Amino acid sequence: MAPRLHLLRTTRLLNRSYATASSSSTPPHFRVFDRRIKEAQRTRAALSPHSRTVDYLRDTIASRLAERLLLITRPLPHILDLGSGACHIAKSILTDPTLSELIPRINKLTCTDASSTLLHRDDTEPWAQSSPFELERLCVDEESILSDPTNFPYPADTFSAALSASSLHWINDLPSVLASVNTLLRPDSPFLGAMVGGDTLFELRTSLQLAELERRGGVSPHVSPMADTRDVGGLMDKAGFQLLTVDVEDFVVDYPDMARLCMDLGWMGEGNAVLGREMGGIGRDVWMAAEAIYKELHGNEDGTVPATFRIIYMIGWKKGAGQPQPLQRGTGQVSLKEALANVGPSGGKKEGNGEKDGNS
Amino acid sequence: MPERIRPVQKLAEAVAKCSVEAAEYGKCICADYNNVYQNKCAASFEKLRACVMSQKKK
Repeated sequence: MAPRLHLLRTTRLLNRSYATASSSSTPPHFRVFDRRIKEAQRTRAALSPHSRTVDYLRDTIASRLAERLLLITRPLPHILDLGSGACHIAKSILTDPTLSELIPRINKLTCTDASSTLLHRDDTEPWAQSSPFELERLCVDEESILSDPTNFPYPADTFSAALSASSLHWINDLPSVLASVNTLLRPDSPFLGAMVGGDTLFELRTSLQLAELERRGGVSPHVSPMADTRDVGGLMDKAGFQLLTVDVEDFVVDYPDMARLCMDLGWMGEGNAVLGREMGGIGRDVWMAAEAIYKELHGNEDGTVPATFRIIYMIGWKKGAGQPQPLQRGTGQVSLKEALANVGPSGGKKEGNGEKDGNS
Repeated sequence: MPERIRPVQKLAEAVAKCSVEAAEYGKCICADYNNVYQNKCAASFEKLRACVMSQKKK
């Protein structure tokens, strides 16, 4: 049978080039997301009375990320929060009792977001008013953070830590934004990021695809393309970060139906902003079909539908003096072959970390 | 001010009331979801649409 999958009419074509690992001076030109629409969506979301009711996801991710700061025992005089939304990381640090020991270690926290309305949404909340450390809000687009000195006055080597929770997945040129963050950090300072990726919202993606395929004979993008866990390590490495740690965590949230999931996403400011999207929204027939398919294919026994959010956490350190380095190749003293022979084929026991061996 | 009920929410509620028809359509798609083509399940979709439209009118 001839393949029936083809793209529906789109108003704009994707302009993408191949990703290459070359370090040439010409910057790669990726345009997948419409940043202007994204900013408008986030502003509209912040103005909605429902905006705070859908903070559950951002707040959880922010506090999980801030938890990782507890493991870094040095003082953190000036922290950067990139793409902060309504300063969710500051809110977690100030309101979550398990994170309270971070407070005396911080002198200043700079929140940045492209949407001024969202950034200032919680200005009058009690936690923001009584913050013991200085809370600064700068309205600047993450994508142009280094090239916009009027809105972002800080030079290179300023911050003692940088954090970013749930905004990196809307960035077109992730390598250059990560490189900017690396530049802004002081030597030997950490960047801790969290972004949705991988199989996030795969239920919604597949239901809408099947519904559009059956009703209209083709598919158009409704859920963003997302970075995979494997990609993140490479991206961080390319941006110059050392001692990388990447891990994932899945949140599965149950919703009454697909409509409520999409309404919540809208109130989070997470509507579709893919450049190649079809204008004019999803038609009634496709919506009806997708609702039925979602329930049938993924639905829970109690009639609710699950939505998976896969959060990829990344930690990397800016290069600095005195950092532990992997040993040179060929300097290993212990043979990996012999060490593994003692472990046996099941490999249940783990000895050494390969670093000593230098054979990786 | 009472919150305006969104069209998608109305539609979702109507689909929920037509659970038999929705399940029939869903099963038709999911029986072989690697081979879905236009109007593959048109008959069961028409039933679903008829039910949803009658629910929405109520």
